[in-house]
Amino acid sequence: MIKRNVLATAVVVSMGLLTACENGSSLKTDSGKTISIPAYKEPPPTQKAEMGKVRMAEVCPETIDASWREKQVIEGVEISASKLCSPDNPFDIATFVKGTNNVSMATLMETQLSPDTVTKGDDLDGDGDPDVIRIRLEVAEINGRDPDLDTPFPAYDIAPGVQPGFWVFAPKTRGMVVANNETTYANPYIRMPSPAIRVEQGDKIELVLENTHYFPHTIHLHGVDHPYMQEDGSGNDGVPQTFPSPEGAMVQPGESFTYRFQPRQTGTMVYHCHVQTGTHILMGLIGMFIIEENRPNNWVQTFNVGDGHVRHSSVAIKEVYDREYDLQYIGSDKELHNIIQQYNDPRLIAEAMNQHYKLADRKPEYFTLNGKSFPYTIPESLVIVAPNEKVKLRMFNGGEDMLAMHTHGHKATITHYDGIEHNPSAQITRDIYSLMGAQRVDLELNTTNDGLHNYGEGVWLFHDHNEFGITTDSAMPGGNVSVIVYESFLTENGLPRVNGTDLTKFFTNEYYDRTYPVWGTLENADKFGIVDRNQ
Amino acid sequence: MKRLNKSSSILVGSAVATASVGLPMAAQCSEELFSTNDLASGYMLAEAETVKMPEGKCGEGKCGSMGKTKAPVAEGGKGEAAKMAEGKCGAGMKMGEGSCGADMGMAGMDMDEKGMVMNANSDTLPRDCKKISEDVSFTVKAGTAHATHNGTIFGFDSNEWNVKPCSRVTVRFINEDSVRHQWMMHGLPKYIYPEGMFHLEVNGPGERTGTFIVASDAKTMLVHCDISQHMQKGMKGQFKVNGGSGDLPSIPGISGSIYPDSYKRMKPSKK
Repeated sequence: MIKRNVLATAVVVSMGLLTACENGSSLKTDSGKTISIPAYKEPPPTQKAEMGKVRMAEVCPETIDASWREKQVIEGVEISASKLCSPDNPFDIATFVKGTNNVSMATLMETQLSPDTVTKGDDLDGDGDPDVIRIRLEVAEINGRDPDLDTPFPAYDIAPGVQPGFWVFAPKTRGMVVANNETTYANPYIRMPSPAIRVEQGDKIELVLENTHYFPHTIHLHGVDHPYMQEDGSGNDGVPQTFPSPEGAMVQPGESFTYRFQPRQTGTMVYHCHVQTGTHILMGLIGMFIIEENRPNNWVQTFNVGDGHVRHSSVAIKEVYDREYDLQYIGSDKELHNIIQQYNDPRLIAEAMNQHYKLADRKPEYFTLNGKSFPYTIPESLVIVAPNEKVKLRMFNGGEDMLAMHTHGHKATITHYDGIEHNPSAQITRDIYSLMGAQRVDLELNTTNDGLHNYGEGVWLFHDHNEFGITTDSAMPGGNVSVIVYESFLTENGLPRVNGTDLTKFFTNEYYDRTYPVWGTLENADKFGIVDRNQ
Repeated sequence: MKRLNKSSSILVGSAVATASVGLPMAAQCSEELFSTNDLASGYMLAEAETVKMPEGKCGEGKCGSMGKTKAPVAEGGKGEAAKMAEGKCGAGMKMGEGSCGADMGMAGMDMDEKGMVMNANSDTLPRDCKKISEDVSFTVKAGTAHATHNGTIFGFDSNEWNVKPCSRVTVRFINEDSVRHQWMMHGLPKYIYPEGMFHLEVNGPGERTGTFIVASDAKTMLVHCDISQHMQKGMKGQFKVNGGSGDLPSIPGISGSIYPDSYKRMKPSKK
């Protein structure tokens, strides 16, 4: 076989490249034939690798006020330490816990919340916390089109320079959509995913959807105890087709609608838009809705913007757990998320999205954990732990694609499926957690080094074991990768202390637009670089 | 075509006006004269560069762009994040009216649960104005009902306002929708108005009234609702002082877009 191939090649060479080989040489084979051998031609050189701007400073600015990371009390609200490089604004936490109506103007001014974002009052059961909670949600577009800009607006990076269009529910804010007058980047509240919302069991909830978006939307309370109809006969379920009244069946642009309910059961549940669900949910209009157990003096953190670390856990969670994290996973199809960047006219967007987009052909390219893909998961979605702790992870598949989440170095116990507690004597401990669309598991991550629950301290990856889940438009590493990191392995700046390959290149646009080679920072990078085809 | 003629005649008109009365002031106010440019190209940033954040600024993500004064982003952002009155409002747990009352206002900002007025000014004259030339009042209605142009969802009932140099302008802004809307103006003299902004915001059905004084130079300023996609979907206008300095793009009924939509027939998307 081998011989025949050589001969075949030789024939091709001698026929096809005879002229090119004028300056070549010839070889006499054992069988007496002569093969012409081409002259040597040096292959093209390796392109000089230009790493481009390292954007670490933007996601982890040294100017960030380090006091934001500290354990502190604001407005009487205890806020736990968050050693992340990019911690949540503690004034937001305090305001979400107390309510925008119960904090000082000074505190409110440290946030960009509207004075009526979350109002809390009326201690119905007399146990020291408010039980009438009014929550106002707006609908915001991220990375959409501006007819006078050639870049998405307001901008939001899931990874360096990667800007798919999204829609999100967002806490009602005030002022500008951008972070400041000198940037096209969105303010910190306009981001993926739609934030986790927390209430207390038995609270009287008024969930107000103020539809600031240009399409109709609703809120469907998936798994949350809510009546089909309200006392006045209007609906509550957010499903346009089965709504008992025309009002609120679809909340039109510029309109608002109030959903009223008093959840009797607890658990990690879901809220999402129920208009054109095949596209609206996938566009980002889905988040966790968590009902905490009723306890005395239980002021819960109504919003967890960007999900991740919960800096003010409920009383019941604190009875059992040392820390708590909300983890929402979403896979996104480029074709769908590009539509709002292709058109400005809402009629064109509606046509492209609802008439022409082939949902059945959907194949996602982007995979996010809490609205970010690696490496941007590192500044804000680490699971930081210490030895001998119990950590609560609420893991939610907000996308369509099967998740196979794997925790390195740990086997966690599934305590709840879809918000319902699993029989405590039959709970399962494993290292892969499978989730279909909209499913949730509550995990108890035990950091006791016993060889089962944990194998010791370190920087332990956790990621989707579907390989595409750890890519960003097929560039690897990307996607929903993050790390369980022990405090002893954390730098002062909130980054994992590792000595493996240099991570710098992952913080550049060039790596993800694939003009920078995958092994570009190695000493022998030239050996694996991108060929310079212009030479 | 008619529209083009109209705007160019305005341009010519303003140039004449500037030449005859405005020039002596131009040197003094050159910084301000250029700010229309900032707006047209800027808010913004039409440049190809996606990110235009000075080192250390964090314009996205969760990082500290909010209030913390140490993060430089805050100083850029909100004039409203300036000084504020101390004092707790409504520690009680009463529901309803919201306990942060109307007199929580502060220098540059007056806010309660229904809305806010930012950088109101009815006394301080711009440097180039010896006196107030006249008092002008506008009522602006905002909401989906005023999206009268094809392809818009939100709208103001008018998209252009014209005033004389050194006018004192009072805007009564009526929000007819049940969501937030804004009448946010950029390009006023920054030495009076932080970030060059004057801003009315109404949290739902209701209204806000505020007053500001314009400078004398011929200038077109951006007015918009800066809620995600409200400007892009129709809530955009221009405010011309002394004839203005031209038209901004994408003003409904007035000017076209720099990157207009294609209305070609669509094909089903395929992988």
